Amino acid sequence: MNHKTKKRFQEFTFILPALIMFSIFVAYPFLQGFPISFTKWDGMSPDKTFVGMSNYLRIFKDANVINATKNTLVFTAVTMIGSNLLGLMFALMISRVSKLNNVLRTCIFVPYCLSLVLSSYIWRYVYSDVFYDIFGVPSPLGSTTWVMFGLAVISVWRDAGYCMVVYIAAIQGVSSDYYEAADLEGATRWQKFKDITFPMIAPAVTTNFTLLLAWGMKVFDYPMAATAGGPGRASETVAMLIYNNLFTYFRAGYGQAIAVVFTIAIFAVSTIVSRTLRAREVEI
Amino acid sequence: MKQTVKDRLFLVFKLAVTLFVISPFYIAVIYSVKSKPEMVSNRLAFPKIIHWDNFTRAVETSGFGLAMKNSLVTTVAAVLAITLICTMSAYMIARKNNRLYNAIYYIFVGAMIIPFQSIMTPLYIDMTKWGLLNTLHGFIMAKIGFQIAFTVLLVSGFVKSIPRELEEAAAIDGAGLYSVFFRIVFPLMKPIILTSVVLNTLNVWNDFQMSLTLLQKKAVRNVPLTQYFFFGENSIELGLAFALFILSMIPILILYLSLQKYIIGGITSGAVKG
Repeated sequence: MNHKTKKRFQEFTFILPALIMFSIFVAYPFLQGFPISFTKWDGMSPDKTFVGMSNYLRIFKDANVINATKNTLVFTAVTMIGSNLLGLMFALMISRVSKLNNVLRTCIFVPYCLSLVLSSYIWRYVYSDVFYDIFGVPSPLGSTTWVMFGLAVISVWRDAGYCMVVYIAAIQGVSSDYYEAADLEGATRWQKFKDITFPMIAPAVTTNFTLLLAWGMKVFDYPMAATAGGPGRASETVAMLIYNNLFTYFRAGYGQAIAVVFTIAIFAVSTIVSRTLRAREVEI
Repeated sequence: MKQTVKDRLFLVFKLAVTLFVISPFYIAVIYSVKSKPEMVSNRLAFPKIIHWDNFTRAVETSGFGLAMKNSLVTTVAAVLAITLICTMSAYMIARKNNRLYNAIYYIFVGAMIIPFQSIMTPLYIDMTKWGLLNTLHGFIMAKIGFQIAFTVLLVSGFVKSIPRELEEAAAIDGAGLYSVFFRIVFPLMKPIILTSVVLNTLNVWNDFQMSLTLLQKKAVRNVPLTQYFFFGENSIELGLAFALFILSMIPILILYLSLQKYIIGGITSGAVKG
């Protein structure tokens, strides 16, 4: 082996371990998913029956898929907007550097450290023992209309701190020259926010919206732990539906077809949303 | 004078908002030390007698010791491995600018979008075939694989900001690639390494979905699974369930409070998927 090839090989050994682990546990199963999605299969028995496109055709007529899609989208929309609005509000409130603000920041971020399972359980009791017992508001988790909102609130509580951190960094990055100039012209607080802060933190808005979008569409833990998909199927999400197809209904082939469409949908929606937001960044 | 009144009001507002955000923890803490009868009579009131025995009883009945051990083993092993192999490959990906390394970079970018559901069924079947289902090492390996794309992208963004001069000087002095990496680059990566350690620890420690799929036997249950199943069995004895919740929060809170600077730094610098 000459010197150059030896060096190239040595360089390649740096990425080899990551490449191997990624290929075995992500890329390989991901590719295996496609052939499975064209079969009728219970997930265990050795015989898979090839059924062509029929799994895929069934998806678009399946009331459970439509229901799960609707639930997932409601959750995603509420968490995207809620976490960002609250996160931005918190950030504006405590973005100035001070000891107290640091402590408050630490507190507001704490919910993000909890597991989603734990957050779900705590909120089940916030809803039943505080909302209902004290204020007489029935728990949203028991209502077919409000259950997705109830779950979304848990997620907003947990993720608003994350959005806040991103917004604080963005706000602190805006040069104080702009504000001084605005002060000279007698701008109000709202004008300063609308014309300086908000346009300057546009990249952070893109980051947070794209992230919350991805988390929202993949939501699984909250409904699984807080409501088990209920009442009825009112909080069954797409991720749960795929899980249930494998482990509850033993329809691995069909579940995999849903997963393939799900992946494509996530890919398409994330691309469109992040492109749109980026384009908006340039405009303002 | 008017200004100070306004400032005070703002201060009160800030404190009130923060209290409101952390108020759900009150329920968790209060319930964890309440006896059964007191839970019925006045749930939200501060407990008259603090029942520490909820903690001991919860640990005894839930298999919490085992869960804690399983969670610690999987989290530490996975995070160490992720950190080592991802910093190495992120370094090469950031430094080499040829087609191969760029292609790998874009594969990782695309892979970040992949939802766990799309690999769940095939992975479950492969793991069964390979004898890795219901084993801690199997879970560790799958978790490493799934966190690679995110971590490599997070770290490689940082590597680009490290100047090359030191490495080049060392290479001229005859240092090999590995010694350049471990003696020079690795120490310079410290901030991003700590960030990735914290974010990956949170991810592995709090993982529920992959755990539920790959760890289906009682002996390999980690903390989130133990909470999930214990809660299913004990929704009546709330005190025990919440004692367990409090215990499981402690390690992660210690980690957060001691490394929070790096969490915040990392979230904002990387600004990739969490």
